Amino acid sequence: MKKDKNTETITIAEGSSATSVKDIIKAEKAELRAKKREERLKKKQKIAYDHRGNIIPDLNKKHVKGIESKKSMYGRMFILPWCIGMLLFFIVPLFESLWYSFCYVEVAPGEMYSVFEGIENYRFIFEEDMDFVNNLTKSISSFFTSMPIIVIVSLILALVLNGNFKGRTFFRGVFFVPVIVATGVVMTLLTRSYGGYGAIVQLSAKSAEDAYSAAGTTSGMDFSALLNQLNLPEDLTAQLSKMITDIFNTIWTCGIPVVLYIAGLQTIPAQLYEASKVEGATTWEEFWYITLPMIGQTILLVIVFTLIELLTQSNSLVINQAYTQMIDNANYYHSAAMLWVFFAIVGTIIGLIILIYSKLCLKRWE
Amino acid sequence: MTSFLKTKVKDKFPDLNRHKLKDYIGKWILSAFRLVFLISISYIILYPLFAMFSFSIMSKSDIMDTSVTWITKSPTFENFKIAWEALDYPTSLLNTLLIGGISALLEIFSCAVAAYGFSRFQFKGRGLLFALVLFTAIVPVQILVIPLFLNFRYFDVLGIIGLINTITQNPDPVYLDLIDTPFTFWLPSLFGVGLRSGLFIFIYRQFFMGLPKELEEASWIDGCGPFMTFVRVVIPSSGVVFLTVSIFAIIWHWNEYYQSVIFFTNTFPLSVRLSNALTIFETLGYRNEGAPPLVSAACLLFILPVLIMYLFMQKKFIQSIDRVGIVG
Repeated sequence: MKKDKNTETITIAEGSSATSVKDIIKAEKAELRAKKREERLKKKQKIAYDHRGNIIPDLNKKHVKGIESKKSMYGRMFILPWCIGMLLFFIVPLFESLWYSFCYVEVAPGEMYSVFEGIENYRFIFEEDMDFVNNLTKSISSFFTSMPIIVIVSLILALVLNGNFKGRTFFRGVFFVPVIVATGVVMTLLTRSYGGYGAIVQLSAKSAEDAYSAAGTTSGMDFSALLNQLNLPEDLTAQLSKMITDIFNTIWTCGIPVVLYIAGLQTIPAQLYEASKVEGATTWEEFWYITLPMIGQTILLVIVFTLIELLTQSNSLVINQAYTQMIDNANYYHSAAMLWVFFAIVGTIIGLIILIYSKLCLKRWE
Repeated sequence: MTSFLKTKVKDKFPDLNRHKLKDYIGKWILSAFRLVFLISISYIILYPLFAMFSFSIMSKSDIMDTSVTWITKSPTFENFKIAWEALDYPTSLLNTLLIGGISALLEIFSCAVAAYGFSRFQFKGRGLLFALVLFTAIVPVQILVIPLFLNFRYFDVLGIIGLINTITQNPDPVYLDLIDTPFTFWLPSLFGVGLRSGLFIFIYRQFFMGLPKELEEASWIDGCGPFMTFVRVVIPSSGVVFLTVSIFAIIWHWNEYYQSVIFFTNTFPLSVRLSNALTIFETLGYRNEGAPPLVSAACLLFILPVLIMYLFMQKKFIQSIDRVGIVG
């Protein structure tokens, strides 16, 4: 319809020379628009035309799509199994557990009922469950105290291990042992069974009180007994033994961070150090201006990894409480709510740390 | 000491002067410090292992004896015998190998496939999906355990079995019950969402991105499809990362406890057995003072296979970590 109108205006423009230039320009614009519209229509039909407007037969076969789109299809095929698995074994359970945290859930053998209750569970864990808030604050604060220590201590260890010296492989091998032993049930079992008695408890007791009460037993590295003999004030003794306990725990969690750091340090090209040596940089300057900026990404990785480890490790108080609720009391709705609160908080912390770190440090180092 | 030092120094630097001597001594002191530092930290790390070894061969009288700290006066292997029986060692070792070993193997390959898709091909939504990969690494297993249990108890893919049940009007609906079978671990591993798969996909992707593209392009031109390229070109040239991931996968599957304790009701793997061991020892009458030697023996039995594997592969593994370059 419109096209016809355009032709009309053009004829008018040609017919009466008295009409102004404006009309002519208008008509030209309308013509352009019409052309564009046609092109758009052609594109929509996905038919390829040559410059004369004839249809090119070869380009309209279905398989001629170009290597890039073909490649992207292959890429999708590679990740297809993962997508299916993630949907079945991750997304669905995740939302189910979120749903349960808003429900009252009753598990009978062979059956399961869930009744929607709104935020009742969340209200319960915050208002009536005395332990939860306490545990939550303890867990979160232990996050902030132990995370920087682990990140820094493991960096120092990795720097030492990265140097060239005899027996380097041996020490590296030793530093990976905690990864094998400590990730499992072994450590929990050891601490539990030696509780109040043996040697290991003094090193890995969860709190200062435990370590302090365990003092006086005989075998192994008995720090507390040693400290007691020094006749220091009791508070100081407790603090010191707590610190020693923390050293043990920290070094045992440093296994994988050290491995990650070493991997990162190996990627720094040696030419940089050579150049800095020629320029006369000290070791300290080398560390600040070459090593640290070059492993910026690795530090981020270590931070995130450490947070995840701390989040999911078995002796985290909240996880422990939720897990005993789940297993022993079959009280899944409360434990789901607890875990979700904890996870939401920790997730935000991780997100914030990544954001701040990449804004402040990585940008500046690049 | 000094004479020894002098001869050594003279061997190293024939044209010795005072400055060089100072330098050399400084380096020597530094390395001595380093050695002391590393040895003390190694002691902290190895301490529980040593304690386990020494406790595990102690008899009851040694525990009571206050003069015994490290070395027992009357070594016995009784503890190992009791622990062996309490763990039901051969059966549960086989279970662990069957469950953990096979799912680690599946995971190694499925994660590599997914990571190759993420690292080499451009497609819509790649960034979002990869963010999801990282998200799977962050979510703690404990959140997912109960829904997963229910999913496996009434296993059903896309409601097909439920549909059959409704069509046949079965009064007693039939479901696949996968609980207490290794499929609870095999299936997620097969699809690359098993134990810590997110981390593995991340490590693989980081490595594949660093591989030179030319090899793959050459094989494309020679007529290999993308899958054959992956099998014939990419896998052979990335043995390093496969070694790293397989060690991690095996160790983590070996130590896996949280899911196993829920998914397995009869065929227990070692880790679940071990966690029950303490109560078994208590019912056998080994309380308080009697328990540590037994627990040490049980723990040693548990970590021994992995420890041996690690000792054999240690050198290669550490070299491979140097070369993988897992960088953020």
